[in-house]
Amino acid sequence: MRHFIAAYVSLVSRPFRTLLTMFGIVIGVAAIYAMISIGNGAKKMIIHSLDGINTRSIAITPIWTENKASRRTERRPFSEADIEEISRIEGVESVSGENSKEFSVAVPGADLKVGIDGSDAFYLRTKSMTLKLGRNLNETDLQSKALVAIIGSSVAQSLFGTNHPIGETVKIDKIPFTVIGVVEKHETNLSSRRDENKFVLIPRTTARARLMGGHASVKNHVEGITVIFEREQDFSRIEDDIEHLLRYTRGLLDSDKLNFRMFNFAAARNQMMQVQRVLSLLLGSIGTIILIVGGVGVMNIMLVNVTERTHEIGLRLSVGARRSDILWQFVIEAILLCGLAGIVGLGLGWGIIAVAEIIGEFKMDTGWSVAALAFGSSLFVGLIFGYLPARRASRLHPVEALRHE
Amino acid sequence: MNTPLIKTENLTKIYGRGAAEIRALDGVDFEIESGEFVAIIGASGSGKSTLMNMLGGLDRPDLGRMFIAGQDLGQMSNKALAKFRNETIGFVFQQFQLLPKKSARANVMLPLQYRRPRREDEKALAEQSLARVGMSDRIAHKPTELSGGQQQRVAIARALVDAPELLLADEPTGALDSKTSTDVMALLKKLNAQGITIVLITHDADIAAYATRIITMRDGKITADERTEKAP
Repeated sequence: MRHFIAAYVSLVSRPFRTLLTMFGIVIGVAAIYAMISIGNGAKKMIIHSLDGINTRSIAITPIWTENKASRRTERRPFSEADIEEISRIEGVESVSGENSKEFSVAVPGADLKVGIDGSDAFYLRTKSMTLKLGRNLNETDLQSKALVAIIGSSVAQSLFGTNHPIGETVKIDKIPFTVIGVVEKHETNLSSRRDENKFVLIPRTTARARLMGGHASVKNHVEGITVIFEREQDFSRIEDDIEHLLRYTRGLLDSDKLNFRMFNFAAARNQMMQVQRVLSLLLGSIGTIILIVGGVGVMNIMLVNVTERTHEIGLRLSVGARRSDILWQFVIEAILLCGLAGIVGLGLGWGIIAVAEIIGEFKMDTGWSVAALAFGSSLFVGLIFGYLPARRASRLHPVEALRHE
Repeated sequence: MNTPLIKTENLTKIYGRGAAEIRALDGVDFEIESGEFVAIIGASGSGKSTLMNMLGGLDRPDLGRMFIAGQDLGQMSNKALAKFRNETIGFVFQQFQLLPKKSARANVMLPLQYRRPRREDEKALAEQSLARVGMSDRIAHKPTELSGGQQQRVAIARALVDAPELLLADEPTGALDSKTSTDVMALLKKLNAQGITIVLITHDADIAAYATRIITMRDGKITADERTEKAP
């Protein structure tokens, strides 16, 4: 403690020099603190973006591909048979197929454009949604191409307000459908602008026969498939199986590019995490480099200190200081210098984080552990870069130190 | 008389090697009893400063042996030498060597900072020591607020703090005018009368005259050793 007071007095007796020397460490600590916090915040955001989303799902959609001589082929849809085949893959829990298009949906006195999803009984399950009222679609609905509809909570709100919608009739593209179910409001943190509760679910067969033109009107065509599998660790194997199967049913050779795309949230998240990790590493390295440069500044000024105070060192040795006393005196001075700079740096870093939160509109993770790491690194720099000058001081010969001009 | 406070045997210090070899001390033998006031006189380069550094445990001899207060300095570790300087020796320097930003009391307390184990009455000891040199009314003054003579008194108080067995003074009046020099020498004389052993280095015969014994050095050797009055 006494050593710290002595070191403090020594530092404040040269305020300008102390402040200049602290500058590099302040910036370094602020950079490390802010950058790790921002990195961790981004990581949390990525993780939380999947809250409410089933990571055991694969969404499969057809895509445009270039084939021979750069001739673009059409998007080739899937078929009912594909759904059948995929549902037989081991580890697959449920599969739903979906044909979607936007239509006007109307009740007397209200009218809105809504995406109509023609699908099946597994639709809600694959989207992690649950029914609030009424019943789900069933096999009979699909076989009979029934004119029944299940509506999302936003649609229920817009069309029926507080009224009970079950059994009511809605007109989709002027065709009357009976509402048989209302879906519980579903919330995810995905920042997609689209209101995911604004949809109407009808049997896929009905959609195909009554509403949709083009490919979707052709028997068996399915525009999108969502697969839910049982265990997360089976993901790659199931993905491979699906790719293999679809390559076969779509007549693709091994050399052909895929004309469909498979999307899994967990895999996408892992990719984002990978990017985030690289970014964090990069930002952390910048902070570390600044800190090292600052540390060299500290070493430089400590060497100047030692030279200036050679007389004092000689005197202290002559009145009985051990070499280790001198060593500690200067090491502690360097550590204190860096520690003070570290505290200021944490303050500055906190400021940077606060500004970044306002600009970047996301929550940083400013845990104590990050602050402790940033602060600890400043002390570490003090120890490392303070040691050499301190050692030089402690190695001075007392007689020569006293005689030094 | 019992064993002398200081005893040297063939004390030799060599700087340089081969043809450039300089014997700063060349086989010095002498004894100093407890309570003596010894002046070591000689021109610059005579080896007197080297001898004092050696006596103070700041430097080690290349040849020969040296005993102070029963301790064989040649055999001591660095740590033991630091302890020796701290407890057995008090230094007074020509340029005072006070820490400019500290008070007189803090300067006097400096040796106690390195005392192991620490004493709890550091402040009281420092104040007693300042009282001994007549500086009780300047306890809180910084060196820059004191005259040269007053600074040297503070330095002497620092050397005296907690009763060392030997006071080593290297040209203590070298930076002072003649009036102040007389005061400082009178103080040393008084301290010696109180029983403190003093070894004084000087090139000034007038200053040496305050001592009870004068050792003259030349080219690293003792050329004369005479008592000016009866040994106490």
